[in-house]
Amino acid sequence: MDWKKFTRIGVLAIVGISTAACGTKEANEPAAAKEEVSRISYADIKLGETGKDISTSIKVLNQRTDMLKEDYPGTSWNTYVQRFHEMYPDIQVNIEGITDYAEDSLLRLQGGDWGDIMMIPEVDKSDLPAYFLSYGSQEEVGKETNYITRWLFDNQVYGIPSTAVGRGIVYNKKVFEQAGITTLPTSPEAFIEALSAIKEKTDAIPLYTNYAAGWTMVAWDDYISGTATGNAKYINQILLHTKAPFSDPGDGTHGYQVYKLLYDAVKLGLTEEDFTTTDWEGSKGMLNSGEIGCMVLGSWAYSQMQQAGPNPQDIGYMPFPLTVNGKQYSSASPDYNFGININSSPENQTAAMIFVKWMSEESGFSYHEGGLPIKAGDLEYPEVYQSFLENNVEFVEDEPALEGEEDLLNILNADSELMLFSGGNEKIQTLIEHAANGDMEFDAIMEEWNQRWSDAQEANGVEAK
Amino acid sequence: MKQVAVAGRSRKTFTQWLKSRKGQQAIIILAFTFIPLLLLFTFTYLPFGEMVKFSFYKMKYVGKREFVGWDNYAALFQRKGVVSALKLSLYYMLGAVIQILLALYLATILSMKVRGGNLFKGLMFFPYLINGIAIGFIFKFFYTRGFVLDTVLQWCGFSLENLPFWLRDQSINNWSLVASSVWRYFGQNMVLFVGAIMSVDDTLYEAAELDGANKFQQFKYIILPSIKTIVTLNIILSITGSLSAFEAPYVITGGANGTGTYFVVMNTIAHTNQKVGLASAMAVFLLVIIFACTILQKVLFHFIFRNASADDESYAAKKRGRRAGKEKLV
Repeated sequence: MDWKKFTRIGVLAIVGISTAACGTKEANEPAAAKEEVSRISYADIKLGETGKDISTSIKVLNQRTDMLKEDYPGTSWNTYVQRFHEMYPDIQVNIEGITDYAEDSLLRLQGGDWGDIMMIPEVDKSDLPAYFLSYGSQEEVGKETNYITRWLFDNQVYGIPSTAVGRGIVYNKKVFEQAGITTLPTSPEAFIEALSAIKEKTDAIPLYTNYAAGWTMVAWDDYISGTATGNAKYINQILLHTKAPFSDPGDGTHGYQVYKLLYDAVKLGLTEEDFTTTDWEGSKGMLNSGEIGCMVLGSWAYSQMQQAGPNPQDIGYMPFPLTVNGKQYSSASPDYNFGININSSPENQTAAMIFVKWMSEESGFSYHEGGLPIKAGDLEYPEVYQSFLENNVEFVEDEPALEGEEDLLNILNADSELMLFSGGNEKIQTLIEHAANGDMEFDAIMEEWNQRWSDAQEANGVEAK
Repeated sequence: MKQVAVAGRSRKTFTQWLKSRKGQQAIIILAFTFIPLLLLFTFTYLPFGEMVKFSFYKMKYVGKREFVGWDNYAALFQRKGVVSALKLSLYYMLGAVIQILLALYLATILSMKVRGGNLFKGLMFFPYLINGIAIGFIFKFFYTRGFVLDTVLQWCGFSLENLPFWLRDQSINNWSLVASSVWRYFGQNMVLFVGAIMSVDDTLYEAAELDGANKFQQFKYIILPSIKTIVTLNIILSITGSLSAFEAPYVITGGANGTGTYFVVMNTIAHTNQKVGLASAMAVFLLVIIFACTILQKVLFHFIFRNASADDESYAAKKRGRRAGKEKLV
């Protein structure tokens, strides 16, 4: 008798599970046509006043697993959450860190049930409304916050930057001093000279490529926009319609010059001997102790290099050695952006938006992490940008793409497989290999990239000249 | 009237049958086979079917999908990266051959009476127990300029200037990677071979010794024919393994500098370039290649060993055993 009941229940359960498994498929499809409900907008939120009556708990998905540790040398997540809790005692904030964020976050996003706030991963902009809540129009949010154009679609802002980084070179002041370099180089020639001086006069590796880690190579892409052109429209508007963006413009600017700097440094033996066995974690300590002269990385790397050894005072950050019409520039771009789940309950969405606003305006998160000011009108620059301010370097924020071309950069990137600014480390690794083996001239490599780029433009019917 | 009764009875008999011992047995058997089949279907065949479907689409992980027919397969053959990645498998196949020969040699020696045999078996099997990612990191430092390998070679009298860059030099870096994978897997092959050799009847050796056969002849005429099934199996596993080599190049070199095997290239295309359709097509193509290789191997081995099926083997062994027994009696 019991047996019979057992098997009956068992069979029922199995049938139930299998039908449920078939049924969830539709639920996973992005709900593209979600009706617009009037929701709270970012600009309307007054911290400490709005939403005092909300009692809920929200979950934040992010990439900073190091900040979850209690021994994190900067301000840990725990501290931020506690401080937020003082202002909003009824809103619980749970932080979940993901180690391999760039890939895993996409899977979580696809899965649906991921929480209320997430650092927006690489999605197409046209998919934003299906996954994330709008903070308001560009004009409204722009009055409150800088760098909002990364996740702008249809004039709606979907991401508020957690922090923003400038682009320069992290270097060891002591090594530069020992090599007799008194003024920071502002041109590629002077930079190569400086590296040669380091090689001659010190034991340090002049420029460490961090080839093996891979993702550290993508940093080079970030210098071809504002830094190398001084033009805020370059990436999202001009590059898309340039047939041969990697050709030599003849005036020592643009992507050509940026990549040439790397090629020349490798060719002249100014980088580490065996690039295939570079060690990213170890390189931080080596820069700190003066075994490495400099590394080309965004300003986020500055604090990590300081914390990696006993000599934080030796670490400096200098502008990229390119001068466009007599002036140096640095592209400033947001790091990961906070996005709010469109499928959360309205109450949680309000709570989430309050938390995001608090993070960008009250927490000092960006300042603590060595980032550029996020709150509009905030002029407090962290010390990492000292030499930028001294040299009157202008920060350039990329303008958004024209309407209808929001996804064009992504499409061209994928089709050409150059993957500029997003995981295109392979092409730069190949560049280093060719430079080291001497089996391909620099101009020939640029020619190949041009070809891939214009092929992709042709395949997608993009007008280019 | 009669018919109704029959219908009623048959219906009753069905429920009765369900309650009967036989019926209960049938239900339980069905329920029990249903669960593994369901799991197999949900976690193996369904995702595989989805992947085959993906290979006909131009798609990313998120966003719209566009049906493109055979375009992905066409693109696959036009890419230069794909063919060169497949060529890299040849390095690993050659490595697999070395690995099996080495394992067979050591297994034969260790299955004879060797002092400390178990210790050696344990030591050589040990690498297989280490996590593949950890092995990657070990070898990354092992091959780094001036680190372990260079230091050891310097003890042997080489000078650092004459030593190559193990991972940087494109003419040898693939061999370096293959060596790490041979080091990892030969112990496992060896243990399998030792196990198979153990099952060979001891009396055969005695008989052979009485006949004046030396160790090599014993290996050639007794051991090898008795374990050919396991040899075939190991070769098939090694060849498929070398077609899908991933961990060593992915962890040690990240697939850069001309070491990107098929799997590493596939991973880049799927995750960096987000061409999921193309990557799926690559996976399907690899499956076809593996099938082809396996079938080819079967045919080839059939030819070499004639009938290498297990039944024949045990039969032959029995026959041989009987003959050996008879000889002993004589």
